[in-house]
Parts: sequence; C-alpha cells; structure tokens
Amino acid sequence: MRASRLPGSLACFLALALAAAGCGLSGGSDDGEATAGGCKVDKANVGSGALTGDVKGDITFQTTNLKKDFGDYFNGVIAAFEKEHPGTEVKWIDDPGDATFTQRLVADAQGCTLPDVVNINVNTAIALTKNGYLIDLDKKAPDAGEPFVPALWKSSLYADASGTKVHSVLPWYSGGIVQTYNTELMKKAGLDPAKPPTTVLGLFADAEKVAKASGGKYHAFLANPHLRIPADWQQMGIKVFSADGKSFTFADDPRTVQWVEAMTKLYKAGGMPRDSLSSTQDPANVYGQGKLVYGPTNPNFLRFIQQNNPTVYKKTGVARFMLDDLGHTVGAPQYIGTASTSKNAVTALAFARFLTNAKNQLEWAKDPNVVIFPSTTASLDDPFFQSVKGTDPFAEARKIVASDRKTATADEIALTPGELNAISAQIQLAMQGKKSAEDALKDAQAKGNELIEQGS
Amino acid sequence: MAQHTVDQAPVPAPLGAGAPRPGSVPEPPGRLRRVLRSVTPGPTADAGGAALYRRWWLPWLWMLPAIVGTTVFGVFPFLNTILVSFTDAKPLGGAYNLVGLDNYTRMLGDSDFWLATRNSVLYALIVVPLMVLLPLLLAVLVEKNLPGIGFFRSAFYTPVLASSVVVGLSWQWLLSDQGLVNTWLEKAHLIRGAIPFLSDSWLILLSAMGLTLWKGLGWYMIFYLAALGNVPRELHEAAAVDGAGAVRRFWHVTVPGVRTSMMLVGTLTGIGSLRVFTEIYMLGGATGGPGGADRTLPFYIRDVGLDPLTGNAGYGAAVSVALFALTLGLTLLAQRLTKEDEA
Repeated sequence: MRASRLPGSLACFLALALAAAGCGLSGGSDDGEATAGGCKVDKANVGSGALTGDVKGDITFQTTNLKKDFGDYFNGVIAAFEKEHPGTEVKWIDDPGDATFTQRLVADAQGCTLPDVVNINVNTAIALTKNGYLIDLDKKAPDAGEPFVPALWKSSLYADASGTKVHSVLPWYSGGIVQTYNTELMKKAGLDPAKPPTTVLGLFADAEKVAKASGGKYHAFLANPHLRIPADWQQMGIKVFSADGKSFTFADDPRTVQWVEAMTKLYKAGGMPRDSLSSTQDPANVYGQGKLVYGPTNPNFLRFIQQNNPTVYKKTGVARFMLDDLGHTVGAPQYIGTASTSKNAVTALAFARFLTNAKNQLEWAKDPNVVIFPSTTASLDDPFFQSVKGTDPFAEARKIVASDRKTATADEIALTPGELNAISAQIQLAMQGKKSAEDALKDAQAKGNELIEQGS
Repeated sequence: MAQHTVDQAPVPAPLGAGAPRPGSVPEPPGRLRRVLRSVTPGPTADAGGAALYRRWWLPWLWMLPAIVGTTVFGVFPFLNTILVSFTDAKPLGGAYNLVGLDNYTRMLGDSDFWLATRNSVLYALIVVPLMVLLPLLLAVLVEKNLPGIGFFRSAFYTPVLASSVVVGLSWQWLLSDQGLVNTWLEKAHLIRGAIPFLSDSWLILLSAMGLTLWKGLGWYMIFYLAALGNVPRELHEAAAVDGAGAVRRFWHVTVPGVRTSMMLVGTLTGIGSLRVFTEIYMLGGATGGPGGADRTLPFYIRDVGLDPLTGNAGYGAAVSVALFALTLGLTLLAQRLTKEDEA
C-alpha cells in the first residue's frame, strides 16, 4: 500500500514542476500598460514629459567590481549626493563582475528588480534599451546630454523596441585607444618607430616587412581575426551593418575582401604566429614576452606591461590610433543607465547625473590607480589632461587619448559573441586557404544575417 | 486506488506493510475505517512503540531536501527546457510564443548542428574505448604493493585534481608551435617544421581527446583499483598453473573480473564525452577551432542559445533536447550491445 504511493507522489511532483515550468509561458502583458519584458513600468517613467518630483527616498546603485579598489571614492560620491539631497539614501551594490555577471543582471531585469542606477557596457546597453528596461532620456531628461563631449553624446544612441534610436544611457569613463609597439623590434624589421601606420592596410604593409625580417622569431600581431573585427573594418570606413541595423553588409564592400586577403597573405608569410589563428592567447602576454611588434590598443595595457615586463615597457612606443577613412576613433564608454522599472526614478536619475558630472568624473580619473578618461567636456579641459608632464609611454598615451576624446564617438559596432564567432570562423578558413576571401565573406555575412534573423 | 490516498492512512505502520499483520483483525475499508481510527488507538502490534510516532510521511520528510533539490535543480529545468524548446524565448524578451517544431526544423537543417553532432559522436567513439581500457592497464600496473608505488598512484591521479582550465593552458604550452612537444621532436630530428597541433582542426580535435583521456585516466584508475581487489587471486593462480601468461591472464581473468566496472566506466565516459566543452575551448579558442570545425554539441548550444543577452533560448533548448536524446540513445544502445554480448 505504502509503496504504491510512490507513482502518485511522483506524478504530483511532475505536475507541479510542469505547472511551474508552464508559468513562464504566460509572461508579458497585453492590457495596454507600459511594460519592459514581463515587468510593469511606472507610467511616469515612459511617454513624453520630463520626469519631475522631489529628489528623496531610497535607490539602489550597482557597479561592477569597483568596491575593492575605489570604495572610498564611491562612498564619497554617495555621501556628497545624500548631503546635497537630504532624505535620500543610495544603497551601493558592487557585483563581483565574474563570468556570470551578465546572467545575474539579466535575471534582475527579468525579475523586475534591476538596480535603479546601474553601470553597464555597450552590449548590455543595447539589449536593455531594445527591451525597454532603461529610461528614455530624450523624453524624460532632455537636457541630460549637456555636460558630455558632443561627439560622444550624439553617438551614444541605441535602438528602442520600435527601432528608434534614443539616448538611454549616460556616458561614463572610457579607456581610450592608441597604437602601441615595440620600437626595438620595429627597427629590426626596418620600420621607423617615428612613422607608425595611419591606415589599417598601411599596418598590414608594415607587418609584411616584419614577416620578412623576423624569420619566425617574432611576429607583427596575433592571427585570430576575433581580435581585429569589426574594429578594423569600421576604421576603414566599411559599412558593417545596413542602415536599419537588421542585416550585415560588410561582404558587399571590396575593401573587406582586401582586408581578408591582407590577413591571409600575412598569415601565410609568417607575420602572425600560426597557432594563434583560433587560440585564446592574450596579446598582452605575448607582447609582454617581447614576441610581438604591435601591442594591444588599450592604454590600460601599458600599466600591465609596466608592472609585469618593465624592459618591454621601456621599449614601447605609443602613437595615435590609425584614423584611416573614418577620421576619428570609436569606442563605447562605460555607461550609467537608469532603470525604467525603478520606483524612484526621479532620485535615480538625479544620482546618475551626479555620478557622471564633470567634477566627480575628474576626481576619479585623477586616481593614480586608474587609466580612464572622462566623458565630460569640462573634465577633459582640466590641466590634468591638458598639460601632461613626462615622455614615458604612459604620459604619451594620456596626452594622445585626452585630445582624441574630443572627437571620438561611441558608435563602436558591437557584435554579439555569436556573430563575432561566426564571422571570425569564416575568415579563419580563408586564412588557412580553405576558402577564397570572397566566399568566406559571403558565408560569414550569410551566417551573421541568419543569427540576426533568428535572434542568436 | 482510492484507499491509498493520503488522508485515509493516518496510522503508523512500517513501510511496505501492505497486507494486514498476522493476528490483527482486518479492518473495514473506507470511511468507516477512518471513523474507527479516529476513536481508537492504532493497531495493537505497533501501539506504544516508537512506531506510534512514525507517520507515513516521515520517510518523505527525510527525503524532502533531496527531493526538493532534485526537483528544483534537475526535474524542473529539464521539463522547462523541453517546454522552452517549443517557444521563441529570449533572455530579455518577456512574453514568448509557442512556435511548434520550428526550432527542431531549423536544427535539422543546420549544417553546423550536424558538424557538432559528428564531432561529439566521434569524440565518444574514440574516447570511450580508450578510457575503458587504458585506466585498467594503469590500475594493473600500480596495483601491486611495491616500494614507492604510492608516488606513482598519486602522480597518475594528479591531473584529476587540476582544474580543466589550468590543464588546458599547460597543454596549450605543450602543443604550441614553439611548445615542448614540437621543440623536442625537432631536436630529435623527427620532424622538420612544427606539427600544427593548435591550428589544424583534426589535430585540435585529437589533442582535445588526448587531454580528456589524460585528465580522466587517474580517476577511472581508482575505479579499477577497487574492482581489481575483488578479482579472486585463486583464479590468477589457477590460470598460472595451467600455463597462462600475463597477457592471457589479463584477458581471461582480469577483464571478466572487472566487467561490471568496465560497463560503468563506459557509460560514464560516454556521457562525459558528449558533454565536452572546456577542452575544445582551451585548445581551439572561442570559435571552436579554425572555422568552428571542432565545435561539439555543448559548444554549439553555447554559441546559439546561452548568450545571456541575445541567446536564442528556444533554439538552444531544442539542441539541448537533441543532445539529451543522443546521450540516452547511445547509453541504451551500449547497454543493449553488452547484454547481447553476455547472452
């Protein structure tokens, strides 16, 4: 008798589990109320008309792995905000920012508990804007863009659910972009460190000289196309996406074919380590071993080299990034978003703007432990960036990036990991000689478009 | 079945006691029994003992943590995956719709899916037989209690303890063009140019299999060491007396003796090799080898369905269901073949 309860009980469990699983299917709401994903949104947070109301009450603010190094700075900013607006309380959450960080953030969004003010990167900004999780600043705070460098603000636009490009995030700090290279190896290869390339294809031409001179002892850069797209293409002025962003167009441009052919030629000539075609090797490490002529383009990498490989650091030259056809650099900064699901959006927005104002950004950028560049015009005009002393690679980088930031835009093309892998994979095949550049690009574009269409 | 329902059996009785105990009076069924029980104490046989407090749900209570854990982290996600595989679910999309068999149709028509399936099946077909046999040889080797044998047993076991990522990195260094293996082979004048272990898609796949084997040998060696202890020594002695050499005794005494363990190891490694991801990622990179040619099914699932922002959860779930079916199918097939073998 007792044993026969087992199937019954199991059936109960299964039924319960199925019912619970089925719950997910009925998400969303069709009753005309404002929603973001499956979450109801306060009516004041959407539609036209600026947000108004008193700045008071509690909000949550989330950063990613900053407490350990910059706890004092953030606590200071929070205290100053709370002092300026009595009756407010900012609860600071610092996510460790490990591999599952984005999953947690998505889970928060799905659970309608996205922090009121949240630090996000470009890919997250795109996804959250598209699904309506961020407040549309064009409607809710039309003057929000004033403090920011115009080029940056104008380009910090992402498509909302209807496809309209809106300001949904405030630009925060960015790392900047420069060329870095090993001057000693450059000279060995017969290149002049005072004349670094100014175009992407110019870089490949120089790299071929490296391939000829090195005899396999050192290389120009790593082979994995993963590391160079879509940044190289964008810099060359190639249209990676169609105007509506719904399909890839890079294969239609003959210059992309040229680029793939240049990669293939260089790879075959030994200008790149053969085993780096698909590998996870970190270029910073290989450069640090003195085996690469061209290093990573992130100024923060210079600090890494300074600490880990001082000899290579001393030989490192820094130059303005290849502006090529585009004429300026691109690179999305870190962003601060205000959740549309916030119950206290007025205070949240006030804090977001306070955190990203010129004074607070400059104060942080001056911290000797960081190599970051602010997004506000006033902070970039500060003597700290305008009259940099010293000629070491680090000081050079600061000078270059600070002036570069005035024209840099945020419209960096952000591929999803799936798109990047699918496109890189085809180019790898071309580099191995298994496909022609044209065919590889055609297939890459087809696979990329399929991913856009299928949503993955 | 009605008399088996929960509310009608409030009386303590040992588990599995289906029939009335000898000597106890059979009770009237149904409602009358319930009324009687509400006014009289339990059956005399159990009255007064600890069994008085033993309710029917007590065993369930002890099992509850495990059941809740399994339901929440096993049964629910499993059923949810099946359900999601029929939808167009996206991580941030909110509501999603049933799309019938669309995801499965897309899957069957996707050459990348078939390539990943081929790689996974190939992985299992090559790794499983080796993983069943090699650790057994290793176990036979270190079974005897010789001085210093503990060192070798520990040494063979060490790779099991190392994290896959660390092992993957070490293998990257070993197998790179300027790595240890190529340098040695070149110094020994066995090869002229470096072998492209990390840039040829077949070599990446084979190297990944090597990594899986190397990392698993020690683990299954322990399984076999335990099993070898149960092979009667007399059989070995008798075989030796009859003139059987070491090889013959291995095949005719040792192997039959550890047969059950071999089946277990076969099943476990079969499931394991269909789940390979880290090895391919460490040696073949984010694309899964040049051109994505070394992607396994879990790798493919990650690419299409697991991106936390843009993954196509519905499609990813459909491929996961296919992976489950493949695993189950191969396991059942293997069991069937073994049974036929026995018969």
